[in-house]
Amino acid sequence: MSGPSRLTIAVAAIGMLISAAAGAQEYPTKPITLIVPWPAGGSTDLTMRAIAESASKVLGQPITIDNKAGGGGTVGPATMAASAKPDGYTIAQMPITVFRLPLMQEVSWDPAKDFSYIVHLTGYTFGVTTSAESPFKTWKDVVDFAKQNPGKVTYATPGAGTSLHIGMEQIAALAGIKLTQVPFKGGAETNAAVLGQHTMLQADSTGWRPLVDAGKLRLLMVWTSARSPNFPNVPTLKELGYPMVYDSPFGIAGPKGMDPKIVAKLHDAFKKALEDPAVIATLAKFDMVPNYKSTEDYKKFVVEVTNSERKTVEALGLAKKTN
Amino acid sequence: MNDPENVKLRLNNSELWGGLIGLALGVFVVWSGLKLKLGTINDPGSGYVLFYTGILMCAFAATIIIGAITEGSPTFAARWKDARWTKPLVIIAGLTVFSLALDRLGFLLSTIPLMLLLLRAIDPVRWSLAIPIALLSPLGVWWVLKRLLLIQLPSGIFEIG
Amino acid sequence: MDTLYNVAQGLGVALLPINLLYCFIGVFIGTLVGVLPGIGPISAMSLLLPVTLSGTPESGIIMMAGIYYGSMYGGSTTAILVNIPGEAASVVTCIDGHQMAKQGRAGPALGMAALGSFIAGTFALVALMLIAPSLASVAIAFGPAEYFSLMVLGLVVLTFLTQGSMAKALLMACIGIVLGLIGLDSITAQPRLTFGRLELIDGIGLVPVVMGLFGIAEVLINTEQVIKRDVINARITQLLPSKADWKASAGPVARGTVLGFLLGILPGGGAVISSFASYALEKRLSRTPERFGHGAIEGVAGPEAANNAAAGGAFIPLMTLGIPPNVVMALLLGAFVIHGLQPGPLMITQNPGLFWGIVASMYIGNLMLLVLNLPLIGMWVQLLKLPYNVLFPLIILFTIIGVYCSSNNVFDVYVMIAFGVIGYFMRKLGYEPAPLVLAFVLGPMLENNLRKSLILSQGDLTTFVQRPISAVCLALAVALLVAPLLPALRKKREIVALDEGV
Repeated sequence: MSGPSRLTIAVAAIGMLISAAAGAQEYPTKPITLIVPWPAGGSTDLTMRAIAESASKVLGQPITIDNKAGGGGTVGPATMAASAKPDGYTIAQMPITVFRLPLMQEVSWDPAKDFSYIVHLTGYTFGVTTSAESPFKTWKDVVDFAKQNPGKVTYATPGAGTSLHIGMEQIAALAGIKLTQVPFKGGAETNAAVLGQHTMLQADSTGWRPLVDAGKLRLLMVWTSARSPNFPNVPTLKELGYPMVYDSPFGIAGPKGMDPKIVAKLHDAFKKALEDPAVIATLAKFDMVPNYKSTEDYKKFVVEVTNSERKTVEALGLAKKTN
Repeated sequence: MNDPENVKLRLNNSELWGGLIGLALGVFVVWSGLKLKLGTINDPGSGYVLFYTGILMCAFAATIIIGAITEGSPTFAARWKDARWTKPLVIIAGLTVFSLALDRLGFLLSTIPLMLLLLRAIDPVRWSLAIPIALLSPLGVWWVLKRLLLIQLPSGIFEIG
Repeated sequence: MDTLYNVAQGLGVALLPINLLYCFIGVFIGTLVGVLPGIGPISAMSLLLPVTLSGTPESGIIMMAGIYYGSMYGGSTTAILVNIPGEAASVVTCIDGHQMAKQGRAGPALGMAALGSFIAGTFALVALMLIAPSLASVAIAFGPAEYFSLMVLGLVVLTFLTQGSMAKALLMACIGIVLGLIGLDSITAQPRLTFGRLELIDGIGLVPVVMGLFGIAEVLINTEQVIKRDVINARITQLLPSKADWKASAGPVARGTVLGFLLGILPGGGAVISSFASYALEKRLSRTPERFGHGAIEGVAGPEAANNAAAGGAFIPLMTLGIPPNVVMALLLGAFVIHGLQPGPLMITQNPGLFWGIVASMYIGNLMLLVLNLPLIGMWVQLLKLPYNVLFPLIILFTIIGVYCSSNNVFDVYVMIAFGVIGYFMRKLGYEPAPLVLAFVLGPMLENNLRKSLILSQGDLTTFVQRPISAVCLALAVALLVAPLLPALRKKREIVALDEGV
């Protein structure tokens, strides 16, 4: 581990970037912006940074992350659909809310038409936590308390219409209780909200893990099909009597009308990134498993998801009123 | 009553106009807030904060208008006394033309004429200095950004820059 | 004793030649991007993140941290010299710093900004070492209701930034809030006030607004006057702050440090609010508040110290809870994770070498920055000797480039020019831009937190006074609002207002 060697690598890296920009006329010739529609520091942000980092090595151009949070992760893709050129230099992470929110309210985008889907990447492990100081020791405590005090139990989600919101409402409906949702912008914010006991519960993806490990938060349940190997003592939704699994799979897409050649290039780069051991290790830190789907499969998958979401949303009475 | 430093209910009362513009903006914001739905106090909607901010704007603008009428204010002419008002106008016009040209002509072809205009039209710099500055400064910046920082500036239809 | 041992261990890591080199590269790049308006630490850090991956985690993170606080130093330079704040936190520095430059005191202003930053940065680091773990609870004590009240306090504080009429300042603040809300609603994703323009879906950028209202408007105001800047330049005599300057600045720097450090801990907007709050505090405490806005060195020293201390405070929630308080910190978090580390409550105990190494490297980095920046002051002051008719086209050129680079979007250049024109008329009619900019930054947070706290309290407005932190913020805000209505103070305001009215 001698000093100069690392410096040489650094200089070489800069040199590579410059020569790549000067020489090649082929895409990509400049840094690519990847919109992550969640605040910086949450589980999506951190894993997307790791994936982008690895993909940028394949593409030979840096990928810069642009955190455009809000609207349950739809503000970023909606902005891209509305204003970005389909030149491959602006792409976005596509959370499931992009397909779900149009079923619930008037929105500015059409998930079937406004995007060029590139590649499907992975899904989340969701869980419900509470502060370690809270009186809730198990999920049953929450249900009992909520039965006595309808609407008094508050939970922080990363946004209205997210899988966390929909999932919690489904659980509440099955348990016969009423909970109050407080929409935040993402994991970094919900962590702070539940730690400070501003909300009683937090429903979010694994961004809470270091805090649970440190004993500051208590994990009440996970929404995966089987127990998480990292938290073998925490029950799944199914075990608690709610026959559901939520993992909100996601991929990336660009604005509509992208050149198929560029789509293929991005697809290959991100596919390689998913195979990178460093990326797999980062994903594992957040209990996420690679779930690769090619461009074609991803397109089919979008149709399937939209259909199944429509059923759920209608069942909960959250569907958009058609007049 | 004709002191240009202090007029009351006159059309050239500058404070009055400032207040009126504020009031108009306030009314517009209130209206936009209403259109976006206020929601309920349990679950405020998208227009909630806009609506109340708009009301506050109207209140502050009204204070300014009342002050302008009762206490008086300088006229527009007094505010622009001793000012070479044509100079900012030239710059604004130049910048407007520039902004329209930037996307079409590209960074270099639109910036160099803008620099020449700014250097010559306000307090003229002699040509022997103005031309090198107008040419070299955009070129230098363009080179640093494009080659060292990899930031692409608009190149326009002629693909120059 | 533990702390001493840890510091020694940290210094051992930080003083490795390779880490010293990375630290220097970091602060050097930071200074550069800080000086170039528009190219902030965020874009520099995201572009350089890959480069840092080749080294050890320590080296990479030391370099990233160097860029961050280096840019905090550089940001004040353009604010003082040409009235262009590189970032929201240096808006306050413009107010008195640029006036000082106009009076030929750019040297002392720059010097005080650098030295004040150094002192504040050093104290913040000492505090970070000694009390970081115990302060973590501060960051999470703030829920939606507390944030809302803090934002209200922040907005009220801004009325002290103005010399003229209170009604005008408040009107500007409201306009700032409304401008900040343009774009998709952060809760329901509905487009607001976008007039069907696609570019507005994303909201208006801070950089074009600030560059227009300050940079371009300043040029327009200057060019309409016949008096040339060259005449003033003859008076540049000293390059560094004098004894009198030091005496005036000691208090502001000390108070700014404490204020900045505490507010910096809060996720979201801490650094910006602290610089504004420090300015308001100094103006309030000063025996001669009328000097503020006309080149008072206290108005540069306090906010600059606050700004840098906040940069230190911001490390607390990141290192102790894994909660990044701003985008720059989140980028650092990303760097940690890519290097295989997970910041959180366990990081200090699991990786003491890394934690203390980074803290120690920040001491060294601060020292490097001072050595780097003091000689530069002479060079910056020379820049002002350029005749104004040569200087102002260059200023315009750099604002255009800065704005374009911040978003790669020509629309932002239009926005900047529009705000330049608006800013020109605002100044002519005695409306000041600083309240608008602060409200523009705080507005969206104010709205979001108000709505969340109302959902949480089920529409019960008393939540804002029942929660102690929130109640204190609101009480302070009310006290500040009522004070100027007292007759004695009111007189003072009017005298100043008259001076401005010309």
